[in-house]
Amino acid sequence: MNDMHTPPQTHSHEVHTGTVHLPAPTAWPILLALGVMLLVGSLVMSVWIGALGAFLLVVSAVGWFREVLPHEKHVDVPVQHEIVEIEPSRAGVARIEVDETHRAQLPLQTFPISAGIKGGIAGGIVMLIPAEIYGLLRYHSLWYVVNLLGGAGVAGWANPTPEQLTHFRLGAFITANIIQGATTLLVGLLYGALLPVWPRRPILLGGIVAPVLWTGLLHNVLGIVNPYLQQNIDWWSFAASQVVFGLVAGYVVSRSGNLQRLHQAPLAIRLGVESPGLEGHKTEEDDRR
Amino acid sequence: MDAPSTPIPGGIEGALDVTPQTRSRATYLEVLHDWVVTVDHKKIGLLYIGFALIFLVVAGLEAMAIRIQLAVPHNTFLDARSYNRMFTMHGTTMVFLVGMPILFGFGNYLVPLMIGARDMAFPRLNAFSFWVSAFAGIFLYFSFIGGLGLAGTGTAPDVAWFAYAPLTERPFSPGHNVDYWALALFASGVGSIGTAINILATVFCMRCPGMTLSRIPLLAWIYATVSFLVLVTISPLTAAQVMLLIDRYLGGHFFDTQAGGSAILWAHFFWIFGHPEVYVLVLPAFGFANEIIPVFSRKAIFGYPAMVAATVGIAFISLGVWAHHMFTIGMTSLGNTFFTLSTMLVSIPTGIKTFNWLATMWGGKLRFATPMLFSVGFLFQWVIAGLTGIMLSVSPWNWQLHNSYFVVAHFHYVLVGAILFMIFAAFYYWYPKMTGRMLSETLGKWHFWLMIVGFHLTFDVMHIPGLLGMPRQIYTYEPDRGWTLLNQIVTFGAVIQAVAMAIFVYNLVHSYFAGKLAGPDPWDAWTLEWSTPSPPPTYNFPVDPVVASRRPLWDLKHPEDPDSAFE
Repeated sequence: MNDMHTPPQTHSHEVHTGTVHLPAPTAWPILLALGVMLLVGSLVMSVWIGALGAFLLVVSAVGWFREVLPHEKHVDVPVQHEIVEIEPSRAGVARIEVDETHRAQLPLQTFPISAGIKGGIAGGIVMLIPAEIYGLLRYHSLWYVVNLLGGAGVAGWANPTPEQLTHFRLGAFITANIIQGATTLLVGLLYGALLPVWPRRPILLGGIVAPVLWTGLLHNVLGIVNPYLQQNIDWWSFAASQVVFGLVAGYVVSRSGNLQRLHQAPLAIRLGVESPGLEGHKTEEDDRR
Repeated sequence: MDAPSTPIPGGIEGALDVTPQTRSRATYLEVLHDWVVTVDHKKIGLLYIGFALIFLVVAGLEAMAIRIQLAVPHNTFLDARSYNRMFTMHGTTMVFLVGMPILFGFGNYLVPLMIGARDMAFPRLNAFSFWVSAFAGIFLYFSFIGGLGLAGTGTAPDVAWFAYAPLTERPFSPGHNVDYWALALFASGVGSIGTAINILATVFCMRCPGMTLSRIPLLAWIYATVSFLVLVTISPLTAAQVMLLIDRYLGGHFFDTQAGGSAILWAHFFWIFGHPEVYVLVLPAFGFANEIIPVFSRKAIFGYPAMVAATVGIAFISLGVWAHHMFTIGMTSLGNTFFTLSTMLVSIPTGIKTFNWLATMWGGKLRFATPMLFSVGFLFQWVIAGLTGIMLSVSPWNWQLHNSYFVVAHFHYVLVGAILFMIFAAFYYWYPKMTGRMLSETLGKWHFWLMIVGFHLTFDVMHIPGLLGMPRQIYTYEPDRGWTLLNQIVTFGAVIQAVAMAIFVYNLVHSYFAGKLAGPDPWDAWTLEWSTPSPPPTYNFPVDPVVASRRPLWDLKHPEDPDSAFE
């Protein structure tokens, strides 16, 4: 650590001289700052302190202007430099050892962002079917699940009864649409990015495993975030909606095309590590292409 | 101090600075004059850092007074008013006189060097910004002896660092304590805005040839983002200070709840500043990690564009989360939901950063020198601070724990565990550049391990009295609450941290005179500041550097395998 890491250099011994222009040192900034502070501080001190501050402020402002107008004051510092050629201190650059079989399913390409958006929209629409079926069968209302989702965002609508939840309410409708739209779009985008990464059967993982995990997580934390929603939610129909979303979104995303997978590519390329030397090894044939 | 004898590359295309570095002995008066009239960004940076270090010691002593007072129930070490002054001055000092100045100091010193500039865009404004901030700090502490009430602890502010209305109104705070607080922050805000303008202009207008925005070091990107945040957030704070002064001096009623004013208005104004301020402080800490972790992992930073995007993303999101400090004020359920979700959103860009630092270290050839030790400590502690932050962002949870010691523990995890740890890392990393001497690694490791032990004893344990219901800002408590042992452990941890700080200060002073010579590039680093002598000459570079990649010194040292071939 204490050794000098500067690489060996070869000197031409031809000294070039020059001059560097630097701004001249000046006392006006400190005097102006003192003036401002005394002026401000006079509110709790004395009017004479304020008068001194005002005087300093005016004098230093004038002095500062005179220093930069019409021409900025500067000092010239003579410098000398030589042209050198740096020789590398090491024969080569160490490469990271990579296990080629590790995470071999990482894709060579990714789905376009639009695939995730389409998947999110499609899943978000279709998942409404099981949710609404539950609302219709259980409460004979289209608005129950909408109000349950959006009710948290309606000011002054604290702990509504199940009867109140079956009637249309504009605030809850708008809030539910915002929550549903934003969430499904974001999860769709996430699917677009993640599904190609998951090894084998991405629809199964995206359609079953992820929704089940997500539902389990929500089941545990919803009591903290929104206890009322937790009391009134039907977890089986909720889970069914999530699974439907996952299957549809996963299907739409996967239909965007078969992506090549990086079975043999270096790990750095698979992960996007910016490691000079590991990526970008172009052959002459590549160049010709 | 001896000048380094080894010639170093002064321009990145292989221009070697051979200017004779003559150092005549100057009198103390000449040295003092030199520093007072300087407009050199490096000297101003060091002035900022020195000023902040002095106040760090002062604020540390205030923290120790607080901890001694709370070590046992019914303690009489401090009376209630003195205790109020201690935590008010501790908080105000740490944020405005330590955190911001020390980070502006590093920014002043490093940003021009890193982007290949000779100075800041407005050198005189730079000097003015420092001096007005310094005078504001002195003015704030003058409150202990100045104005009315010379006896005892004087009239130091005692309204907490957020100074909620209507406590700050004239009927409740009749002396000058609130005025000192408001005026000092007003003046320091002027300095902060001046520095922010300067850094923005420097980063966008003073870059050397080849230093495109996609090549500037991440630290420079972060300082530009922080400066934007400072411009946006200091303004409402300054406006609020003026409104408060109008209330107190001209009979205004902005925050006078008896006359139709609104205390909640103050809370909004303050936290619109206050929460982004956390990111003003923590983003430079991220920037230090961006520079230090790659060098000690011997790898380029993972995901440079994602890191830039995450930085800018954090800045924008942080502007929309302020009311999570106000859940207990009583907002609508829509407000609670919005600020819960927007706060959780911050975890996405910060998560990106955390994963990128880990990915940078993964597979690298790690060197656990002191800067890297502090960086690793920062990584762990920042993640934990983020997790308790997510807990507090959930409004029902927040209703239970608001204004408890759980909150105090959470934000100290951010301010000490993340920010202060990375400031220490930055000291160990750039001290050799600033002084030409290495800090002692042995003392550095003592400093690190004592800090780790002291920090975790203090702030891990501090969560528990919070969960048990201990409110913040109480000067004593009953012995039957079950908080006594926990408070004693917290105080013991604070003592260990104080010992660690003493070692750090000793190391700074001792190494300046007796440390090993550093040479220009002791860490085998890659950014432009390491191409200059240590300490750099006033002109920084004898000729304008020309760069072709994000790691210009790598290109210089490895012409057979330059980054520029891959960008």
